Amino acid sequence: MMEQMADPLASEQRETIELSFPAQPGLVVLARFAAATMAARAGFDVEEIEDLRLAVDELCVSFGPMSEDGCVRMELDRDHDTVSIVGSFEPFARPRAVGQERTDSSWEKAAELSELLLDSLVDDHGRENRNGKSVAWLRKRRASTR
Amino acid sequence: MLDQPVSGGRFISEGPVVTLEGEIDLAVAPSLRENLGRLLEEGHCDIFVDLLDATFLDSIALGVLVGALEQCRASGGDLHLVVTEPRILRVLEITGLSNTFTIHSSRDALPGQSFNNDSGSSVEEVSQK
Repeated sequence: MMEQMADPLASEQRETIELSFPAQPGLVVLARFAAATMAARAGFDVEEIEDLRLAVDELCVSFGPMSEDGCVRMELDRDHDTVSIVGSFEPFARPRAVGQERTDSSWEKAAELSELLLDSLVDDHGRENRNGKSVAWLRKRRASTR
Repeated sequence: MLDQPVSGGRFISEGPVVTLEGEIDLAVAPSLRENLGRLLEEGHCDIFVDLLDATFLDSIALGVLVGALEQCRASGGDLHLVVTEPRILRVLEITGLSNTFTIHSSRDALPGQSFNNDSGSSVEEVSQK
């Protein structure tokens, strides 16, 4: 019978990563990296890690075209086997209202596709406008615990 | 602010074939849209997008491909995807597009092309402006 190795992270059941970066498309990779790291620490399998990487990318997509006019802030929380991510787009100047940031039809199409992906990839997700800030969130639980 | 490329995606364009490599995300999408638009303007209505070396595709990049597909079909052509990566196939499946695109599983489907970059193809590394 195979012996189960002790999980060195078992005592660290909760942790938070805070991430903040200029709203530039090329920096979204940082969010994917942070999400994948946290998912791995929560014991997600490879497919679930990939799901979360894509989901956090879609969460950034929900902020609309990134043109260095603001800052993306994220808080990634792990509570045992669940990863929750809350992201916000904070404009440097004039606030953008939710739904007004998409400027062309490809963004509209992407928004539809993004919604389908998030529905499938995570357990819960949503977005709202809080005091002029676009806020989006998602939560994913490890499959073996569902 | 960083101005170094941090996203690994890039594309190579040669004739009606666009080869995408690495992570195709919102950093790559604008260049991809521009490139596909140029091919359409040049009169290519059958376009092939080689995703065999792509490892990631998000909704923005997919939206660009859908837009190009619609334009190809409006011109009487098609946009073909060459893809075997399970993660990308899954994205197509989740979004209900796996039956919308013409999907091939090998480069045999591509029109005879040399991928030698000395022969006039353009290679674009995606960098963060």
